[in-house]
Amino acid sequence: MAITFKELSYTYQANTPFEYQALTDINLTIPDNSYTAIIGHTGSGKSTLLQHLNGLLRPTSGSLEVNGQLITPQTKPKQLGDLRKEVGFVFQFPEAQLFEETVLKDIAFGPKNFGKSEAEALEIAKQKAKLVKLPEELWEKSPFELSGGQMRRVAIAGILAMAPKTLILDEPTAGLDPKGRLEMMEMFYKLHQAEGLDIILVTHNMNDVANYADNVVVLEGGQLLKTGKPAEIFASPEWLLAHHLGLPKTTAFAQELKQRGIKLPSLPLKEADLAKQLATMIGGIGNE
Amino acid sequence: MNKFLLGRYINGDSLVHQMDARAKLALSIYFIAIIFLANNWVTYGLLLVLVLACVALSKIRLGFFLRGVSAMIWLIIFTVLLQVFFTTGGHVYWHWGILNLTQYGLVRGAYVFCRFVLIIFMSTLLTLTTSPLEISDGLESLMNPLKYLKVPVYEIALMLSIALRFVPTLLDETQKIMNAQRSRGVNFGEGKLMDQIKAVIPLLIPLFVSAINRAEDLATAMEARGYRGGEGRTKYRQQSWHLKDTNALIVFGLVTIALLYLRTW
Repeated sequence: MAITFKELSYTYQANTPFEYQALTDINLTIPDNSYTAIIGHTGSGKSTLLQHLNGLLRPTSGSLEVNGQLITPQTKPKQLGDLRKEVGFVFQFPEAQLFEETVLKDIAFGPKNFGKSEAEALEIAKQKAKLVKLPEELWEKSPFELSGGQMRRVAIAGILAMAPKTLILDEPTAGLDPKGRLEMMEMFYKLHQAEGLDIILVTHNMNDVANYADNVVVLEGGQLLKTGKPAEIFASPEWLLAHHLGLPKTTAFAQELKQRGIKLPSLPLKEADLAKQLATMIGGIGNE
Repeated sequence: MNKFLLGRYINGDSLVHQMDARAKLALSIYFIAIIFLANNWVTYGLLLVLVLACVALSKIRLGFFLRGVSAMIWLIIFTVLLQVFFTTGGHVYWHWGILNLTQYGLVRGAYVFCRFVLIIFMSTLLTLTTSPLEISDGLESLMNPLKYLKVPVYEIALMLSIALRFVPTLLDETQKIMNAQRSRGVNFGEGKLMDQIKAVIPLLIPLFVSAINRAEDLATAMEARGYRGGEGRTKYRQQSWHLKDTNALIVFGLVTIALLYLRTW
């Protein structure tokens, strides 16, 4: 689902002393079938940008086009209902949105709102509960009895249950343990690859960017700083440092090797790439 | 959430901002009392001049005060209509069942309207120029004599400042949860009344859960830092009474005398 921003600006609480321009003149295209990572500091405008994608915010000036639907400052909120079905939004700490009596009912809430019958919605809920690896004995429990990680899974299943074409993830793994993190990120990646779900990920974790994304957007102070493939973004550690952004672990390690005189043929982003390059250097893949 | 702007503290350095919170609080309450002394156009005019002078001294745009009035407009209209239609006396312009449109009714309605607007202006002025913390400090200090009646003044002030402190936090939280539920297909403020009531449940339950969790966290955090109640606690923010506060009291006193004189005029 292609998304295009045209000269989009957004100002919070316009015409008051609390006026604050969060986005300035954003021109950006997020291609169809991509896994896009949006990086930038706290306060760089990431969340504001995301909220335009499913019509929670409408631009103060400029426009954006999501899946052929044009959104301008004049667009009426009522026209944005369909958009919310197509763009699933997993908020930061999404477990805060749980409210139903049972886990399954909560997951079924979204599909029911978008016109599915009770039975259909529960059927979808079961599928998605399996997908996010929620053990069956939890399905009829109250979501408030679950652990933090399990609640997160319920919330994410609730978004997936709406069968969106694009999934927005705002730091989806914040506060999870390393194993939960990995499982969750792998699940999203699988959905992206197997079901062609477009993913837009906001994260501070550069390893996730290097491992999963194929398109990176860098924001700073409400303006678009750079877009490109991860390899292009991480190619210049000096540039990243100047903008207070980190390097993925693998790339940082490769940089250190370079400083000690070990030259790698290209800058690796993923652990596997680095391992392969090193193996080739010491004597061919066969000898590992 | 623009509506919630009304009455929010706006940083500034005007004469009204600099005044002691106790003086502002006491005078706001006093103003509500003396407004009932007004009984004719001259007295209402005098109070209007007083309010507008205070507003001008605060250097805050009039628009903010008008927004405060517009937020209450339905309550005002309702009360004014009650006065207009149920007051009898004077010339009768229109009559239907128990409803009367009379000369006295119209005048009373207009007075009630003025009263509302003036009170809203004055209390908006208090909250626009005084930070919530100053207000709760001021209240605590004003309520101090009640300690002798075994009123838990310190606890009340603490509750008030915690409540005020968490208003923006809870508003943010509300906004966040509303966004999350909107993303799941809830339409707030649309559709039939029944649908609208139903739409509140997915908002209220998460909000209560998070508020209760937050309260527990706060209690733990306070105890972890050795909080033991108000006994012997010193204050970081000191309040100081200046000449301008005394002057303000004098001005309000003079206005009261003028009102007493003019109401029988």
